[in-house]
Amino acid sequence: MEIRVKCRCGEDECSEWAIVELQGVVETQASFEGSIQNLEIGRLCHTESSQETYTFTVGYHELIGSKVILKKPLLVLKKLQLDDEVSGKTTELEVVGIIRTKILFKTRPKPLISGTN
Amino acid sequence: MAERIGGADAVIDLKPGSSIPISYHPSFGPHDDLLLLEADDNLVSDIFNQRVTLRGLPDEDAVLCTKSKTFAIKFVGNSNSMFLIPPSSSDDDTNINNRQLVSVLKISPGNMELVEVSPRLDKLKQLLLANPFGAAEVDAMMDDNDDDNNEKKGVKLYTWSDLVNTVQASDEELSVGLQSLSAVEIDGYWRVIDENYLDVILRMLLHNCVLNYWSFDDLDEDEVVSALVADEFPSKLASHCLRVFASRVNSNGTGKWKLEPRLVCLHFARLVLRDEKMRLESFMEEWKKKIPDGMEGRFEMLEGEVLTETIGIETRVYTFSVRSLPSTPAERFSILFKHRSKWEWKDLEPYLRDLHVPRLSMEGLLLKYTRRAQPKADAPPVFSAR
Repeated sequence: MEIRVKCRCGEDECSEWAIVELQGVVETQASFEGSIQNLEIGRLCHTESSQETYTFTVGYHELIGSKVILKKPLLVLKKLQLDDEVSGKTTELEVVGIIRTKILFKTRPKPLISGTN
Repeated sequence: MAERIGGADAVIDLKPGSSIPISYHPSFGPHDDLLLLEADDNLVSDIFNQRVTLRGLPDEDAVLCTKSKTFAIKFVGNSNSMFLIPPSSSDDDTNINNRQLVSVLKISPGNMELVEVSPRLDKLKQLLLANPFGAAEVDAMMDDNDDDNNEKKGVKLYTWSDLVNTVQASDEELSVGLQSLSAVEIDGYWRVIDENYLDVILRMLLHNCVLNYWSFDDLDEDEVVSALVADEFPSKLASHCLRVFASRVNSNGTGKWKLEPRLVCLHFARLVLRDEKMRLESFMEEWKKKIPDGMEGRFEMLEGEVLTETIGIETRVYTFSVRSLPSTPAERFSILFKHRSKWEWKDLEPYLRDLHVPRLSMEGLLLKYTRRAQPKADAPPVFSAR
């Protein structure tokens, strides 16, 4: 079996996706379970400072991180299962995007208590 | 005011002093059909030039192939939460008051990584050696009334496309594999030629050399093919015989070939030995009788093809060809050490020469799979299984 990895765009036009990565898991309050689409997770801020730092505030936690340029880009592939009259069930892989940077949060969350910031 | 959902660019271009909310995408979900593949710049370029495929049978782990390399695919999990943010999409690109939303489509559990591996060519050997092309088929070929003889017998033959779909190797590696098996394409199917039949063609070629006063170093392909066709050999196999036992003189297509003494002598050595162990002296005698006049057979020509064992005062020689051994290092060393528990480097090296493992040098291979011992400082080192 041979599956060709397809892409409809060239390298330069390939749409760029992004990743925001943090340690741990973001949990949703029980009342929202099952319908979290469109719900706000938090706020990403690029701090105004000499260091390239970012903060991500989720609930009352603040995470501190930085932008990382990936040494090896990640390609976003979409797997398509097709049912063809002629060739039966076939699988196709298509490149739908490329990721070259991510915002990585490696620190433990700092709790924000109103009044102290 | 239209909303632009996705927002990867807003994240990447976020200016110092700015902030932006991140939400779950309206279509947030598992999206198991979206996969992340780590790729270095060369691979990225190959992929965008439509040169990358996944190959393998349904019961095998798929490999990724570029034109010349083969990679195993590993999934590497990530315990971090990786929020995957797609690029912006909008229903109305012309509205400059678009409110930028950054939205997470999926939380990726990890990504796929590629590890370069040796092509799985042992299967190619197995498939083609199951049905070598021999004299019986030639007769059938010449007999026009007997088309599709192989299909009638239920014999499985492979076209290039069949091989691509069955063997986990890149196109270039597959070609090299076919070449090292001295395979030839007949009627669209890749075949190896039965050794006995090849012997018949070779001896006819040598016979014609004598009859026509042809020099071994200056054979004309057209003349050779004409002579063999006149002797009722298919022209394709006549040409193939040259490719197996000779090399081109000048690459500018003059059609001139020179017979390689080592390949011709090796062929006759194998014919003399067959499956037996012969006394060295008897072997040398029989071998010299078969070698054509004008060629010299030297025992060194047979390294990697025969082994000797000395019991008492007698030395015997037998066929042990590197080409019959597995191409993967672990299996190769296992068979070598099962055959003989201790090897000196001079005997072992010819059986390792063709091993090419990504990221491992010969020293690395020896370190990984063998134990090296040197009983005396002035004695050669001896290798055994790890």
